[in-house]
Amino acid sequence: MIHNQASTTGVHRSILLSQGLLALFTAAVVFLDIRCQWFWGWISRSGILGTVNGTDKYLFLGCLFGCSIPAYVLLYSMHILLKRVQQGSVFTPENVRLLGIVSLCCFLAALLCLASSWRFPVLLVVTVAAGFVGLIVRIVKNVFQQALRMKDELDFTV
Amino acid sequence: MAIIVNLDVMMAKRKISAGELAERIGITPANLSILKNQKAKAIRFSTLEQICKVLDCQPGDILEYAEEAEK
Repeated sequence: MIHNQASTTGVHRSILLSQGLLALFTAAVVFLDIRCQWFWGWISRSGILGTVNGTDKYLFLGCLFGCSIPAYVLLYSMHILLKRVQQGSVFTPENVRLLGIVSLCCFLAALLCLASSWRFPVLLVVTVAAGFVGLIVRIVKNVFQQALRMKDELDFTV
Repeated sequence: MAIIVNLDVMMAKRKISAGELAERIGITPANLSILKNQKAKAIRFSTLEQICKVLDCQPGDILEYAEEAEK
């Protein structure tokens, strides 16, 4: 009983931490979108992007805003997923669908960065990172699908 | 599912209701309904043991394999 209570508290705290981190990432994406001009100034001066000219700004900002769309969809999906997990609905078809959306968003962002990497080769790093995370989430989705099947079997075991 | 659960017949013979049977077996009425309506995918031996004890019967009295149903 005590172990169960400690376990439940631990899970609750873990979910709270995840929600906190999610809020932090959301704030970061919103900040970058609002302060995109400042971000472009900083990153172009830093030399990370190499030599840049006037039109590069629009390509970079286009990539940034383009990646923001899947980012917001991803963050919202994770928010819904965390809320459902907190309510006890873990292995459900809806959660499998949400994980699929998160994975797709990662791959979309990776594609956008890949498309921009011809001009900003450093974005290849972001491409690989986003693609890798998308793959991990996709595998987690596969695991959830199997778990859902096993749960279904268990629910109908008397 | 080719395995058919014939609880109704034995319940009628022993004159026991679904609610009473569920309580005496130690499962919820919902789970008993799953069993009676052929929706169960598996049954634990412990549950089968309790059913046979309460209904005073053999597993073969309540479980039937129907090849026609499989086809």
